[in-house]
Amino acid sequence: MFYKNIHIRIKLVFVGIILLFFLIIFKVFYIQVFNYKKLNKLADLLWNRNLPIEADRGKIYDSKGVVLADNKTTVSLVLIPNQIKDKEKTAKELSNILNTSYKDMLAHVSKKTSIERVHPEGRRLSFDIADKINSLKLDGVYLVKESKRFYPNDKMLAHTLGYVGIDNQGLSGLELMYDKYLTGEYGAIKYISDAKGGKLELEETYLEPQDGMNLTLTINAELQKVLEREIDNAWGKYNPDQAIGIIMNPNNGEILAITARPNFSPSNYQKYNVEELNRNLPIWATYEPGSTFKIITLATALDENLIDLENDHYYDSGRISVENARIKCWKAGGHGEETFLQVVENSCNPGFVVMGQKIGKEKLFEYIKKFGFGNKTGVDLNGEAKGILFNLDKVGPVELATTSFGQGVSVTPIQQITAVSAAINGGILYKPYIVKSINEPETNTVIKQNSPKIVRKVISESTSEKVRYALESVVTNGTGRNAFIDGYRVGGKTGTAQKVKDGHYMSGNYIVSFMGFMPANKPEIVVYVAIDNAKGITQYGGTIAAPIVRNILKDSIDILNIKKPSGASEKNYNFNEKKYVTVPNVVGKTLKEAITELKPFKVEYSGAGNSVIYQTPKSGERIYEGEVVKLMLK
Amino acid sequence: MRKFDKTLFITVILASIFGIIMIYSASNIWAEYKFNDQFKFVKHQLLFFILGIFLMIIISKIDYKKIYDNSNKLLLAIIVLLILVLIPGIGTVRNGSRSWFGIGPLGIQPSEAAKLILIIYASKYLSLNQKNIKKLKECVLPILGVTMFIFLLIMLQPDFGTGVIIVMSIIGLLFVAGANLKFFIKLGLIGVAGIIGLIIMAPYRLKRIISFINPWSDPLGSGFQIIQSLYAIGPSGLFGYGFLNSRQKHFYLPEPQTDFIFSIIAEEFGFMGIIIVSTLFLIIIYKGFKIAINSQDLFRKYLAFGITFELSFQAILNLMVVVGLIPVTGVTLPFFSYGGSSLLITLCSMGILLNISRNSS
Repeated sequence: MFYKNIHIRIKLVFVGIILLFFLIIFKVFYIQVFNYKKLNKLADLLWNRNLPIEADRGKIYDSKGVVLADNKTTVSLVLIPNQIKDKEKTAKELSNILNTSYKDMLAHVSKKTSIERVHPEGRRLSFDIADKINSLKLDGVYLVKESKRFYPNDKMLAHTLGYVGIDNQGLSGLELMYDKYLTGEYGAIKYISDAKGGKLELEETYLEPQDGMNLTLTINAELQKVLEREIDNAWGKYNPDQAIGIIMNPNNGEILAITARPNFSPSNYQKYNVEELNRNLPIWATYEPGSTFKIITLATALDENLIDLENDHYYDSGRISVENARIKCWKAGGHGEETFLQVVENSCNPGFVVMGQKIGKEKLFEYIKKFGFGNKTGVDLNGEAKGILFNLDKVGPVELATTSFGQGVSVTPIQQITAVSAAINGGILYKPYIVKSINEPETNTVIKQNSPKIVRKVISESTSEKVRYALESVVTNGTGRNAFIDGYRVGGKTGTAQKVKDGHYMSGNYIVSFMGFMPANKPEIVVYVAIDNAKGITQYGGTIAAPIVRNILKDSIDILNIKKPSGASEKNYNFNEKKYVTVPNVVGKTLKEAITELKPFKVEYSGAGNSVIYQTPKSGERIYEGEVVKLMLK
Repeated sequence: MRKFDKTLFITVILASIFGIIMIYSASNIWAEYKFNDQFKFVKHQLLFFILGIFLMIIISKIDYKKIYDNSNKLLLAIIVLLILVLIPGIGTVRNGSRSWFGIGPLGIQPSEAAKLILIIYASKYLSLNQKNIKKLKECVLPILGVTMFIFLLIMLQPDFGTGVIIVMSIIGLLFVAGANLKFFIKLGLIGVAGIIGLIIMAPYRLKRIISFINPWSDPLGSGFQIIQSLYAIGPSGLFGYGFLNSRQKHFYLPEPQTDFIFSIIAEEFGFMGIIIVSTLFLIIIYKGFKIAINSQDLFRKYLAFGITFELSFQAILNLMVVVGLIPVTGVTLPFFSYGGSSLLITLCSMGILLNISRNSS
């Protein structure tokens, strides 16, 4: 009985102990099941270390697939100090290979950090140095891939593309605007670490880096090269303060080429000052457009049926009085009796003042705004300006008069080319754009696509046709003759604008420009070039900018495959100008016959015999009279 | 004389061997790092294991009366040793406690022996004073006095965990012997008051208590060990990472071969490891209590119960700390945690259990 009580109590204690063991087992179960997620996540954070692997930045292509911004892959040295057991030996070996001081390297190797980059000596290593380091097989010494931005065409399109910083982050231009698309995702070598940072030989996973998205632009690299070349030539020839060039497809607002001077080399952007780097002049610069703006006045007057180009006349005495001001024509003594077509051809200021007076300030400013002036075009580039227009309440007769020929308004080059595109494409204002699509790098799946966006209809199709006709006349008969390309239909308008400084016009300091397009009957390309303060030459748009645009248009024939039209207008020659003559076919003829037929040209021949077997240029080509035609005889 | 309990013997051997294997797995990284010898701890433990098995078998064969007769002398000897260990120059300090007699690289902890000796003494005392068990002054207070004296000596080292185990073992014995339940309730209240007093005296103890409920409230301080233990237990799943594959032993869990070895077992063998360890303990505890019930006289009954109860209490205390059920107390897991004296004394007490099993009915 007495023992029995003791035994009961022992059994009671035993039951208590069993219950406590069950409690412990249940707690373990609870930890493993209910706390699993949290603990696993935290423990992973504790154990896992990442050795980052850089992804390639997305490439930037032109519309034909030419690479404009590329990557160069290099390797960089990464140290994990906790894994380096023999610090002295490692530091010695590395400093020998990298040719750096042992002391610095020892500091890197001994640094209390999980991952140490040896900057800058250990970054962007050459292949044989990387190979040497690799062959040593040192603990805690890793070589990881690094990707460096590379611009194959150096300065070409610099402002638009922008540049990247040392960590491949976009700092300006498209590189900045589309940084989140272009930036890839880091990959990593993941490994399990001990509490001292050492690597556990348990498992190692490789997480592939995700390359950034590719950009495809509306830019045509060939046209861009042509534009850059021409602007470079002008830059060298005239030593101007600034130069601007834009090429656009007038039928959809695609920017085909765009450039500015001064420009910079994106790989060495640190060497340039902030203004040179950040001012993308074609969208940032605002200035008085001068005569190119007359296209707008002309389009307005035609759209409102206020003038008849061929039948309405105006007598230009060389000046016109508006209120108390006298506005002079650029030609001393004036142009005399003119049709309005001739007013346009001659870029006659008083004639445009009359046009403006017929339109009236409300209508003129309504059209100016409809053409997109006074507002940003919304082009997908950073740093666009919107320009300045007169406040309508403050527009008196003088302001109306000057606005008619492009003074007293402040506009950007992109606004001008966009507005002129609308004036000549049938009257539709498009929103200009430069990024065509964003593509996933591996599958090339389109992530985002930009398509032409119509802003509004500005003028009628028939008005636009008249504008094209008038502007073609400018090139064939008028101030734009220097842009004439024989056998093709070119339209255009010159511009010479005085620059304003501190509220006054500067003397002898102009922005000369030319707006040209082709073919004049059905434009496929518009080119705008502006040269700011050309030196050592009389500053007229017709003499400086028109030849540049001509060269660009000429090269674009092959690039854009522009067909030779049948009804090209013949150029009206000045007395001192050389004429174009078509070369006749002389192959098969005798030398004598050939010389007679080739009268307008200089004939050179080679070979013995009397019969022509080969001629260059070939028949049907047009060259200036007096140029050489070579013949081969047999 | 009959043969001893084979199941108990085998289970004890299995638990000890499993313990030694786990000490190797838990300690090899630390041992390599600190001493350039990954076997440093396991060799040490193996030495005590062999010695312990030898002693266990001897003790299982001697006449139990020798223990009974010498219990007073043993108590006196251990009190002397507990006092000596406190004297600087004689006792050495490890981990902040002056609990060791250093003999070369080995250390002997007298407090471990004190646990067993006090149970022997109390068993004899209670078997002699059985008729007065209900009387507080005549029977209960004197033995509690002796216990508190030894508790105090151990707290001077200080070694709170061992102190608590000693006190609780004697209370367990008193309960089984039939002391008044009201008295235990009062004792419990005094205990609670004492704990509150201790917290007021040193508020860091409150932090410790809170940190076991939410260890992330002080992740680098008092919650650190518990968090590291949970990281070992939580993600390991049903079967764990496999032998030697613990991650937390790689310097995350400080001294993983001691108090928190159970975390490493859970990490490497998962939930199954926990079941195995619990089963081994429950077999030993079941056998121990069975031997107590089957033994013929009161002394051996109390002795068998006391030894088993102490082992259970210490194991439960350790496991509850490791799984985050109670605050960190600094108690080792018998058979598993690294510690020569602890293993030696545990094996000796198992020898006593085996000895008693030979004479049970």
